[in-house]
Amino acid sequence: MSAITRRGAALGALALVSALTACGTTHENAPGGSAGGAPSTRACQGAGGKYTIGMSQANLAEPYRVRMDEDIRKAAAGVPQFTVNFSDAAQDNAKQVEQVNTFLTQGIDLLIISPNEATPLTAVVKKAYDQGVPVLVLDRKVDGEGYTSFIGADNVDIGRQAGRFFADKLLPGGGKVVELKGLAGSTPAKERSDGFDQGIAGHGITVVGTADADWLRDKGQQQADALLKAHPDAQALFSANDPMAEGARIAAQNAGRADLPITGIDGLPVPEGGIKAVEAGRLSATFVYPTGGAEAVASAKKLLVDCQQVEKQQTLPTRLVTRENAAQVYAELNRS
Amino acid sequence: MTGRSVLSAVFRFQSVFGLVLVFAAAIVFSPHHNGDLVFLDSGNLFNVVRAISEIGIIAVGMTLVILVGGIDLSVGSVVGLASVGVAELLTTNDWGLVPAVLLVLALGLAFGVLQGIASARFRIQAFIVTLAGMQIARGLARMWSGGEGVSITYGDRPGQAPVPFSLLGERTFGGVVPIPALIFVVVAALAVWLLRASAFSRHVYAIGGNEKAALLSGVPVNRVKVLVFGLCGLLAALAGIVHAGQLNFGGPNDGTGYELNAIAAVVIGGTSLSGGRGSVFGTVAGALLVGVLDNILQLNDIDSNVQLIVVGAVIVLAAGLQRLRPATA
Repeated sequence: MSAITRRGAALGALALVSALTACGTTHENAPGGSAGGAPSTRACQGAGGKYTIGMSQANLAEPYRVRMDEDIRKAAAGVPQFTVNFSDAAQDNAKQVEQVNTFLTQGIDLLIISPNEATPLTAVVKKAYDQGVPVLVLDRKVDGEGYTSFIGADNVDIGRQAGRFFADKLLPGGGKVVELKGLAGSTPAKERSDGFDQGIAGHGITVVGTADADWLRDKGQQQADALLKAHPDAQALFSANDPMAEGARIAAQNAGRADLPITGIDGLPVPEGGIKAVEAGRLSATFVYPTGGAEAVASAKKLLVDCQQVEKQQTLPTRLVTRENAAQVYAELNRS
Repeated sequence: MTGRSVLSAVFRFQSVFGLVLVFAAAIVFSPHHNGDLVFLDSGNLFNVVRAISEIGIIAVGMTLVILVGGIDLSVGSVVGLASVGVAELLTTNDWGLVPAVLLVLALGLAFGVLQGIASARFRIQAFIVTLAGMQIARGLARMWSGGEGVSITYGDRPGQAPVPFSLLGERTFGGVVPIPALIFVVVAALAVWLLRASAFSRHVYAIGGNEKAALLSGVPVNRVKVLVFGLCGLLAALAGIVHAGQLNFGGPNDGTGYELNAIAAVVIGGTSLSGGRGSVFGTVAGALLVGVLDNILQLNDIDSNVQLIVVGAVIVLAAGLQRLRPATA
């Protein structure tokens, strides 16, 4: 008896699995065509239209990305025609591909995406673009030309600026620094580090020790602790983001080096962000890496509501935040 | 059919019933687009099946390991290692498709076998062995790739991967089934067959049920355990190859957390974490259930944090149902 019920249920499961796959065969006559019905709303309908925007976020584990979503939410609230759906890929390329596909099935009118990695997301972004859905790529790039506009700052450049700050302000006579890098294997970690090396090149500054701290505050403290023990002669510390820099500050204090100059990157205009840390004197400087959220919504409005074109490449300006301008930058970035 | 055996079937295939339930709910709650149900759209169903295929392949191996009372935490890292490995071999090293795939599969098998030996012969807990394996495989993946992701481009020139490998990334094969889903179905079918038609099956369930008794009745416990861990490593490597093919990319950090997703599919599928009870069918249904659930929540634009909570609740519910299961079932 038990064997029969077991087999029956098994057959049921098999039927279901095949139904799931077979369902696809009947409608899949035009690949690349309308996955989610006719693209009726995709053309610009002007101010009278209603538009759904899909926002595909790489992860919400970093405060920077939470702020990016918030910037988009805030800016979109100012455009009555817009509804924004958000998704979070939790640092998983495969999941992000799936989520973008789901957006396309929903029949979104425009896609904003901050890709987890470039190459894995290229195909699905191009698919959206080829279906006539405008695609705004935020912060991290995709390969090729299959998107409408890239909006973001330049990681190599921001690293270079940080390097120059060390050369000009912190160690004008040269010296030894230690460096905290982001997650090994991630593009921004490499680009920021490469940029930093370019910035300090030829100024008598040597990086005597580096460590990967995965963008995380606790890991930053732990790694800085080890770096400062191994290199007690280090005169400054460069961190590839603000949370790791904050961790390093605690390590420096514990090592009796409370005056060690430390710089970060990101400059988030939130109470727990890097700008406030500079204002409070915990960091010597940070560099604002804009989220591009507001700019993305502005571009979406241009495309969908105003029926205009946007630039293929929109490079956002980065800026240096020191104790002198911290309060002012903080206020400016929270005004819009 | 007695009421008792119906009840026992419900418990045995809780995930199949759960899947039917969730599938029905997904139809009910599906948004409409131009009069059609978005959820039932072919593109959407393909997306679901394609998306769960990697976790599904891993979960099949995980089911075997859990059935013998073990656990394998290294599979996510092995996915990363295999995806980097196949990408490096195909591009940097210019290997042919078949040798590259075979080497990476052999690597996964060897990794699993080593863990199996450490766990079975040297009596180190599987949790600890594979926790170490998780770190080691991740380290190897980062070393192999030089700490950077490896992009895969296709063509005949040096440094390009053979074009057939790109089929994994295509949505459909011949306009019908996504290849990753096809691989998943084949893997699951082979595993079902293995657990039905062989002495191996009896051994697996016997070890999970009572290892001492199995040993005393002549089951080659160590050999079966090593084989099971080897298969799990092999399947994780296969999932990594599929992963690299789907994304045209080998990422040293890819597969992070996949071990937990696979365990979730196994648990929802009704396999007992203490071993000896469960089925690959349940796991397949469990993986599909999570996929459909994720999909319908996103289609309705439910906040991603709520999605996490819902899936978590389903895992607890599934495990809780197992506690109620009658002892004879």
